Amino acid sequence: MLKDFLEGKPLRHPIHPMLVHFPIGLFVLSLLLDLASLAFANAPSLVRDSFYAMLLGVTTALIAAVPGFVDYTNIRSDHPAKRTATAHMILNLIVVALYGINLGVRSSSLADPRISLLPLVLSLVGIALLSASGYLGGRLVYDDGIGVGRHKRRTPTPETTFHFSTANLPENQESGDIVFVPVPAAERLGDNETLRVEIDGQVLAIAKIDNNFYAFQEFCTHRYGPLSEGSFKDFNVQCPWHNSCFDIRTGKVTQGPAKVDLKTLRVELRDGKICVRFPRQAEKIS
Amino acid sequence: MKWLVDFFKGTWLKHPLHPIIVHVPMAMWPGALIFDLLSQWQIGGNAMVRLSFYAIVFGLVASLLAVPTGVLDWSGIKREKPAWKIGLYHMTLNLVVALLFAVNFGLRLQTYRQASKVDSTPFLLSIIGTGLLITSAYLGGMMTYQYGISVARMSKKKWRKVAEAGGANVPPE
Repeated sequence: MLKDFLEGKPLRHPIHPMLVHFPIGLFVLSLLLDLASLAFANAPSLVRDSFYAMLLGVTTALIAAVPGFVDYTNIRSDHPAKRTATAHMILNLIVVALYGINLGVRSSSLADPRISLLPLVLSLVGIALLSASGYLGGRLVYDDGIGVGRHKRRTPTPETTFHFSTANLPENQESGDIVFVPVPAAERLGDNETLRVEIDGQVLAIAKIDNNFYAFQEFCTHRYGPLSEGSFKDFNVQCPWHNSCFDIRTGKVTQGPAKVDLKTLRVELRDGKICVRFPRQAEKIS
Repeated sequence: MKWLVDFFKGTWLKHPLHPIIVHVPMAMWPGALIFDLLSQWQIGGNAMVRLSFYAIVFGLVASLLAVPTGVLDWSGIKREKPAWKIGLYHMTLNLVVALLFAVNFGLRLQTYRQASKVDSTPFLLSIIGTGLLITSAYLGGMMTYQYGISVARMSKKKWRKVAEAGGANVPPE
């Protein structure tokens, strides 16, 4: 419940990217006020103004950290963006620590007409690191779609990818190249939940809908958004990024912008195990 | 002109520029309201009045860059998409907000150096402006997080490679 809130589900908008406007803007403002105190030596209280802007910046940064951390834990552990996100988080922690020190350093000389060297340098370093970190945060959203459309998904998203190889599986006697790949983790899936699996390089989403299992390609055919993080309505999966919909039974596009159908695979029960019916040569998948 | 369009779209940065720039007015104007409030509660005195004024000015300067970058991002959305209309509301509201804070700035210009408290008219303008701004910013966020505007625009080649490597059907290039 609290996690849903911090993920921004009631707002239908992630919270961290809303809140970060405040520390970013206020830290920049405090640097500008520092510089102004050097440029206009006879203007009173600029040093004090800068301190207050920074204080509000640190306060809002600490608030923003909470939903930010929740967003971070939601990124699949093997997602290529996880490293970017880790760097973003570490940089932000350093920035907040620097501004904490900065506040302490300048708190004793608020009545000065000009900012002194040490707090000014700390501000410059802080802004440099903050810009780098903010940039990474933006790349997480606009390159990797982190947080995009997540509020539409009601169930948790996959935490990792399960890897399988068909090399050691017995060939199916009736139909040559077809093998049945058991996916034990599927047994624990709840309704409208998904797994992300990789079989011989083929990346698939497996969804449990209405107590049946469906396997289909992980990547949307529009801009390749992660369908294992999509939301489900009846037998449709909706891509979290640009809302393309596909019928997961057939792979057919049911709503654009995507125009190309998905690959789908059958999921069958074999010897009491949930298995993906997998043609060994990928090009035979239709 | 193409270099200017590329600049505003953030192609050079590999990151759309509008959502970067908007951090400034989005923090400054609600910040100004907070500083106004503190001055009303007699906390900080003239320091708050001035701080509020500087915040409004900094927000206005940044909004000059936020407008062309935003209009360009919006012009890339197809008219029949729901995000087009949301973008139109977002833009209209932002123009109103920017105008309100421009008037707000004008009203403070004479008094901010001495006053220990913000007058009620500029204070009221900060409240209305901030309320509209939050509404508008929410719509802007919706365009990104609900409709994926600008999402994977600059990274689609990278993701296409990932999808191809993962054996997915992909559209013809």
